[in-house]
Amino acid sequence: MKRIDAKQTGMLARTDLKTAYGKTIYGIFLLILSVTALIAVVPAIWTILTAFKETQEIYAAFSFFPKNITWDKAVIRLVESWNSLQLGKSFVNTLVLSVGNLGFHVIVCGFGGYVLSKLKPRGTKLLFTLVVWTMMMPSQIRMVPNYISWLHFPFASDIGYGFNLLDTFWPMWLGAGADTFAVLLFKNAFDSLSNSYVEAAKLDGCTNYGVFFKIMLPLAMPVIIFQSINILSAAWSDFFTPLLVLDELTVVPLSVYRLKEDTSIQMNTYFMALVFASIPPFIIFAIFQKRILGGVNIGGVKG
Amino acid sequence: MMNTRKKLKRKFNLRDEIDAWVLLLPMVVILYLFVWRPTVMGAAWSFFDMKAYTVKDFCGFDNYIRVMTHTQFLPMLLNTVKYVLWSLVIGFLPPLFIAIMINEVIHFKNGFKVIIYVPAVIPGIAAMLMWYFMYYPDQTGLLNMILSKIGVEPKQWLNDPSFTIVGIIIYSTWKGFAGTMLLYYASLQSVSVELYEAAIIDGAGPLRRLGYVTRPAMEGIILLQLVRQIISVFQIMEQPLAMTGGGPNGASTSLSYQLYQYGFNSGGKGTGQAMALGVIIFLILIVFTIFYFWLNRKIEDRC
Repeated sequence: MKRIDAKQTGMLARTDLKTAYGKTIYGIFLLILSVTALIAVVPAIWTILTAFKETQEIYAAFSFFPKNITWDKAVIRLVESWNSLQLGKSFVNTLVLSVGNLGFHVIVCGFGGYVLSKLKPRGTKLLFTLVVWTMMMPSQIRMVPNYISWLHFPFASDIGYGFNLLDTFWPMWLGAGADTFAVLLFKNAFDSLSNSYVEAAKLDGCTNYGVFFKIMLPLAMPVIIFQSINILSAAWSDFFTPLLVLDELTVVPLSVYRLKEDTSIQMNTYFMALVFASIPPFIIFAIFQKRILGGVNIGGVKG
Repeated sequence: MMNTRKKLKRKFNLRDEIDAWVLLLPMVVILYLFVWRPTVMGAAWSFFDMKAYTVKDFCGFDNYIRVMTHTQFLPMLLNTVKYVLWSLVIGFLPPLFIAIMINEVIHFKNGFKVIIYVPAVIPGIAAMLMWYFMYYPDQTGLLNMILSKIGVEPKQWLNDPSFTIVGIIIYSTWKGFAGTMLLYYASLQSVSVELYEAAIIDGAGPLRRLGYVTRPAMEGIILLQLVRQIISVFQIMEQPLAMTGGGPNGASTSLSYQLYQYGFNSGGKGTGQAMALGVIIFLILIVFTIFYFWLNRKIEDRC
């Protein structure tokens, strides 16, 4: 039992794990965690299994596992569902949307966080207070005004000029930049980098932009990667703004939502759509699992 | 004295100021266009008669009166409070306990983390529709399928007015708890091992260590999370939108969902009311927001 010796002292210590009392608590922990893990995955597993069932089976057999499934049948189900769901275009669109979101997010919030942290021009304090307060404002109050500003960008009134941003990705792209929480996250990341980098580089004749792009940005990479993962995953889940804005141009979450009303789609095929929609986030999760579960020390909002 | 120190610290340099504002520009413009201005406009336009998305004449408190005298206004407010209360009853403690358990466990620690995180990876809309089908009122739904196996009559689940809010909250807890759990887990890492060891020397058992070492260290973040959860659940909208459509008979309609209905599903007649309702939600939540910042400052000052 070498692993028990490696136990870090916490609520339970190494010595506790050798007593019956400690062992009982530990056992209960393992049991509760196992049940939680089960609850966490059963809905997902049920969805996948149902996606591979045959139509009659869903409405007749009512069993958790598909009956007499074979490899060939599974492949046929996959191909048939993909063909009848016609999600290809949505996938490409969502990819474009996510990349755009990422670009706007990093440029707008990264720049903002950097200036608030290091350059601190006059007015920073006021701006920072505004940003912090914005973070906690319920977005409901601006839902309709925002829609109007997408209708008549950027003046939000129909005085005769302005662009109609509906059915384009611009509302989502620009919205990805309006993330005050991320501004603070970037600010905290830059705060943790020493000022002497900036000073040293400036003595060597580097411009403010040079300092940012050549020195600070590479140093802040961990946060940028963490944020990129979040933004990419969020883009694959965002359904409300696309619901308001998009029509012809469609993205995966929106297509999935609309398919619910489509009576020609059978339940198993519909479940396959849910599976397809979840694949990209799971790929991201699989690649960056350590980073996502490790988290980033987000810290507070102190000025 | 203060003045000279300030002057030494912040030497005014026009070049730096300009560079800083150039880098800040994207953030300020986007926050102005999509957050600050719409928020102010939303408040202002709530006093105007709207024709679809065009502002017409000033109408005083008409929009507010229409919102408040809606026969369903009080039930909706009550529903929203019910969402919050149920989310506290069902969803508040599990993430904390699971975080503590994962922190203590040495077997399959990473496995548990990965599996429990699965619901958080699934895109929101796909997860909502998954649960919509799990709650399906006939035997194709997972829950009724399980009930029928143990010989219980199928239940109505989301179609049952007394269960629908609980059902949505169970889903939200399932979906959101891994994220909260990671937050708690991260701050558990910062509880010092020495404190636990000192407690052991003083003869404190596992439960006492939990009560006298873990609890005081975690109190701050737990309280912050409590306020944060109240604020976010009060704004619940996507879940009723995708899972129940606010039904049955308005039993799951929250204020925010009603705002969406006013704003985008009323044939343009309710846009003014949507903004008035936004202001009402804002006024209710501002109390919690101020409390949150006060609390946050207090906790950070203590550290």
